[in-house]
Amino acid sequence: MPTSSDTPVLPREGLYEPGAFFDEMFEAPGLPRAHYRVLAEQLSGLSVEEFEQRRHAVDVSFLNQGIGFTVYGEEEGLERIFPFDLIPRVIPQDEWAHLERGLIQRVRALNLFLEDVYHGQRILRDGRIPAELVFGASHFRREMIGLDPPNGVYAHVAGVDIVRDGNGEYLVLEDNLRSPSGASYMLENRAAMKREFAPLFARYGVLGIDQYPQELLAALRQVAPPAAAVPTVVLLTPGVHNSAYFEHSFLARHMGIELVEGGDLLCHDDVVYMRTTQGLQRVDVIYRRVDDEFLDPLIFRKDSMLGAPGLLNAYRAGNVTLANAPGTGVADDKAVYRYVPDMIRYYLSEEPILGNVPTYLGAHEADRRYMLDHLEELVVKTVNGSGGYGMLIGPVSSRSERELFRRQIEAQPREFIAQPTIALSRMPIFLEELRPAHVDLRPFVLSSRITSVVPGGLTRAALREGSLVVNSSQGGGSKDTWVLRS
Amino acid sequence: MLSRVAESLYWTGRCMERAEDTSRLLHVNFHGLLDADLADRGRAWRELVLLIGLDEVYREHFDEYTAQTVTEFMLWHPANPDAVTACVARARENARGVREQISSEMWEHLNRLHLLVSRTRPTAVLASPHEFFVRIREGSHAFGGVMKATLPRGEAYEFLELGTHLERADATARLLAVRVPGLTVAEPASVTHERLASLLKSCGAFEAFRKQESDELQPAQVIAYLLLERRLPRAVCFCLELALTAIRAISGPTLRPEMAIGRVFSELAFTELMTLDASTELLLERVIRGLGDAAGEIADAYFTTRVIPPGPYAQQMQQQ
Repeated sequence: MPTSSDTPVLPREGLYEPGAFFDEMFEAPGLPRAHYRVLAEQLSGLSVEEFEQRRHAVDVSFLNQGIGFTVYGEEEGLERIFPFDLIPRVIPQDEWAHLERGLIQRVRALNLFLEDVYHGQRILRDGRIPAELVFGASHFRREMIGLDPPNGVYAHVAGVDIVRDGNGEYLVLEDNLRSPSGASYMLENRAAMKREFAPLFARYGVLGIDQYPQELLAALRQVAPPAAAVPTVVLLTPGVHNSAYFEHSFLARHMGIELVEGGDLLCHDDVVYMRTTQGLQRVDVIYRRVDDEFLDPLIFRKDSMLGAPGLLNAYRAGNVTLANAPGTGVADDKAVYRYVPDMIRYYLSEEPILGNVPTYLGAHEADRRYMLDHLEELVVKTVNGSGGYGMLIGPVSSRSERELFRRQIEAQPREFIAQPTIALSRMPIFLEELRPAHVDLRPFVLSSRITSVVPGGLTRAALREGSLVVNSSQGGGSKDTWVLRS
Repeated sequence: MLSRVAESLYWTGRCMERAEDTSRLLHVNFHGLLDADLADRGRAWRELVLLIGLDEVYREHFDEYTAQTVTEFMLWHPANPDAVTACVARARENARGVREQISSEMWEHLNRLHLLVSRTRPTAVLASPHEFFVRIREGSHAFGGVMKATLPRGEAYEFLELGTHLERADATARLLAVRVPGLTVAEPASVTHERLASLLKSCGAFEAFRKQESDELQPAQVIAYLLLERRLPRAVCFCLELALTAIRAISGPTLRPEMAIGRVFSELAFTELMTLDASTELLLERVIRGLGDAAGEIADAYFTTRVIPPGPYAQQMQQQ
């Protein structure tokens, strides 16, 4: 039903149907959860017209600031603004405390796993994780064996994707340990919300997130090679045509560090320099947003022009720190993912605080048989896919799509995993009217001497009706995420 | 500052200025020629294409020189790398690569201008060109103003200034080089007056000149004003002086860029121009060549680092 401009965003007579899913905002039709009551009240008093005006103001400001990302494979609209929904996600303090503990525990275990895999490989020798799974992972980097990164940290920045199932339980869907994006959108979303909904902030006690760039810089400085008294930190970007370029530039600007491209760096005698108008300047820490494969043409892809020849030797010599370390991808491999709870038990002697989504591995024969027999119910992913590309969502797939995946799984079982279709939690977004959309949450976990999480994250919403894919490259949008003080 | 960053800033300044210069030329021609006779119009439009040195390219796409075809070529045509929209896009693309170096206000201004220009339909502009030209001019001026008001003085600022003023000096010098030959031959006073007025307007200097000289416009005076005046923002000498200030604020490994700009500046600073003749044309040729040399020296000194790294290699070299 079309809404006229003076009807409120949240009408008294419930237009919004939470449905059979866990709804973040509503316990039942018309009954908001305690921490959403103030927001619901506000939305009942706000007309659609006024809401649209505010949304327009945000869109215009995002467009003018050039806040966006690049979509691959589409001619038109090389740069797009990141669709933003004005209804914030609210997380009460007790739920956040649980999440925070779970995230820190998980990332600590993942860092310990990485150190182990690239040193003694105890966990493999003890048979807790099949060795062939680890060595067969495409992001396992032989070159990292025996190398000691400062403080034993490999994944300095982790973007762990959290979902909620039908019971509202928080589960980890993916550990992104290579170069997770999204922190800049988290910060820009907050800035936009503060401009448009200042009074609402006053009524809610929302924890600040603006310290993120400063904390990231502090973490990067802490892992500098010990010899560097005042370390020079730079951010290495693939360049202006990369989909996350806005973020690279945003973070460099907010940290006050140089944004460098591969061509700006020069390695000589195992020391890394950047080319400046004054000559060469030594670089101590590289927050790199370039994939492993492109970092150093002498070691990885020979045709790479995005890295710097000699970078890895300088790293091995201990003259520069790379963050994240090369080879972290072995720990966020979608098949290795299944064993993260075991890593937590093995390294920390603790029970996992956050659960995993059940995962079937193509590499295991019993699992594979189950996968092939239940394709219609499962979500099948390639272990190295990201951004929501190359997925089969069983319940909405066609017979021919399933056949294609069946053949691929049989040909390359190691490359596939499957998970039950999770009834991802939903919450209202506003698209002409209030309607439910599936959401996830990506908090950012920083590791240096300590591991910490900024209170918030990027909530992504599947804006296409009924879609389960929240990735920005697949038309997903985002929301501001409010962690409450109490 | 990173060499790549310095280069991008320099080109941001140059491209923004180039967009303004080209649209100003078009604007002046568009309105000045409305009451000229047909043959003059064709010649004047052709002159614009010659000025940017792209006549051959132009002929591949158009048969005649009219307000419409030349405007189209100068504003959008994909075969023209210096088209106004291409310059704005390039200025913005260069700035996008160094967003963390300029102020957010500058970036937003440039991004808005780019969105405006790239979304304007050619038919709408040809129907009422005045508004479009004014927008480009104001967009460029406002960019300079936002820069002065928000960007801390430092290398980023100086490279932008350097690019802007070298480009402007070059644009004025080229315009003079094209127009001077037409002013050295005897023509009826009304024709000469028309040409001089158009030339002054193309440099945004008509009112300024009038305030200084209220008598009949004299060719040598006008050319001297646009070439040698130290207080007129678009005069070659004025621009060179600012470019020199910028380059002196950028410390670097060598003095060659400063010397190259200084050579052109000092020749003009000590030149007196009483009459127009063949030597004026030679002078302008030297200025244009000197500006090209300066651009080359800047690129060599700042944009391609060929410094030997410190450490054992440099030590060895010192010991030899």
